[in-house]
Amino acid sequence: MTTKKPSRLSYLLKPIVRENAVLILMIGLCPTLATTTSARDALGMSAAASFVLIFSNVVISLVRKFVQPSIRIPIFIIIISTFVTIIDYALQAYQPSLYRVLGVFVPLIVVNCIILGRAEAFAYGHGVFDSFLDGLGNSLGFTLLLVVMGSVREFFAVGTIFGKVVTPAWYRSAPMLFMIFPPGAFFLIGILKALVAKFKLDKA
Amino acid sequence: MSLTKIFIGAFLINNILLMRFIALCSFFGVSTSMDTSVGMSAAVVFVTMLAAWVCWVLWHALLLPLGLEFLRTAVFILVIAGLVQFVEMFLKKYMRGLYSSMGIYLPLITTNCAILAVTFLNVDYGFNLLQATIYALGVGGGYSLAIILFAAIRERLEDSPVSPSFRGYPIAFIAASLISLAFLGFANLFGISI
Amino acid sequence: MNSKTWMVVSLLITCLAAGFALSEVYAVTKPKIEQQKVDATNSALSQVLVTAQSFKEIEKDSLWYGLDQSGAKTGIVTRSGLRGYGGPVPVLVGLDLTGRIVGLKVASAAEGMKETPGLGLKATEDWFARQFVGLDSATALKKEGGTIDAISGATITSRAVARGVAQAIRKYSEHLKP
Repeated sequence: MTTKKPSRLSYLLKPIVRENAVLILMIGLCPTLATTTSARDALGMSAAASFVLIFSNVVISLVRKFVQPSIRIPIFIIIISTFVTIIDYALQAYQPSLYRVLGVFVPLIVVNCIILGRAEAFAYGHGVFDSFLDGLGNSLGFTLLLVVMGSVREFFAVGTIFGKVVTPAWYRSAPMLFMIFPPGAFFLIGILKALVAKFKLDKA
Repeated sequence: MSLTKIFIGAFLINNILLMRFIALCSFFGVSTSMDTSVGMSAAVVFVTMLAAWVCWVLWHALLLPLGLEFLRTAVFILVIAGLVQFVEMFLKKYMRGLYSSMGIYLPLITTNCAILAVTFLNVDYGFNLLQATIYALGVGGGYSLAIILFAAIRERLEDSPVSPSFRGYPIAFIAASLISLAFLGFANLFGISI
Repeated sequence: MNSKTWMVVSLLITCLAAGFALSEVYAVTKPKIEQQKVDATNSALSQVLVTAQSFKEIEKDSLWYGLDQSGAKTGIVTRSGLRGYGGPVPVLVGLDLTGRIVGLKVASAAEGMKETPGLGLKATEDWFARQFVGLDSATALKKEGGTIDAISGATITSRAVARGVAQAIRKYSEHLKP
């Protein structure tokens, strides 16, 4: 029996929810919990990581035929860290306030399991356009999750979303600050995982 | 910054796992049993110390004087990957017993964010070699503390009645949330905020 | 080329390509990053010496002349970092040409102020800084014979600020006093 080859579209769509890297595959947790204290910071982080993911997927796919299996990990690392350094300096120069917020998590993109994971699991064995789609799909999934978490945490802890006030004053005078601290992040992702199980989102 | 403060800051107050969210992938993957947690902790402490030294020396003796700061990310991660590879080969050849018990965790350490974070922060905080060593020890120790604590709880959770949607990861995260809440109580203890 | 040689060569090529790309990016962004740092410093300095358009650094990170459009001096700004409770207390003091304090700013927590929230951190509040504005000589805390109200429960931090002001006045006499 031959298995049907996955469609191009599925490369793009699957990682968004059904095979969401963080929620389903459980990789890339660190930046997810650390940088989602507000919707804006979450967006900034996912944009930076997406940049690295897409470019490194494409480049690794481009050179895959020249990379021997035994040294593929160091080569992946060099390529990924090059893009991480590029976004690091670009942020320092053009978005210093965002850079200050993201702090050590910008260089940590290089050990973001998602990027190394997709390089190994996909880009090394697929064509350039497919790898681009995979990178894009995972970026969308990552961004979606992070922005959702950032918005929820910001909403409960400050009463705003992307800085826009959306709660009445009486709430904002005593908001649920818990959500903006580390325990809140763990709690939120626990709830999200429970929702995935309850609504079987990984089999959507 | 006194050495004690650096250590306590890294170990407790700004615990790398529970307060700074670094090294989470290994945290949830490895803490399912006490044995694996202890094994991983030992490996992490060891590699963190080595990596801290090598990267500190490389930064101060090579990258900085030659104006090659922009190579920091690439060089540090390659050093860590190399160190892990080297440690693995060394153990395989000379300490077979240890190698087989630590086996799978060694390669996993390369992507352990905590180690890269330590090498970076040692530079950013401007530590001298002694301070960097203590910081690495504090972070490694804090990682061990968190993961062993958590493993103990997860082993208990295995036998507890948990509602279906929460079984496995969800309840583990909620448990982590509660431990993290406890650690939050250490915030700003002794005026330390590193 | 056999596989072992290719291993080494491919690694080398990758490193060279990466190194080249990175040095280009570095060269392009470095001036912008330096400029950011200068802008950030200038904006902090202008907060305590509003009459200055630009600043000339005299002592690295601790003393600047404030200059107006024509380049004439309008005053000086000092930055002190004397030991407080949890670390150095960064204080920016702006003095005009007569040696009178025209602005004082204690750095916020985000800018390196490590004092205790609720106690020493209150030194960043307006009412505390305002006590120093208008003075032209060093003064101590009320409980030490001077005129400054300390922050209750945060004597050490308050003292660090007062001593920072004394340092500023001293630097004025050394550098600007006619």
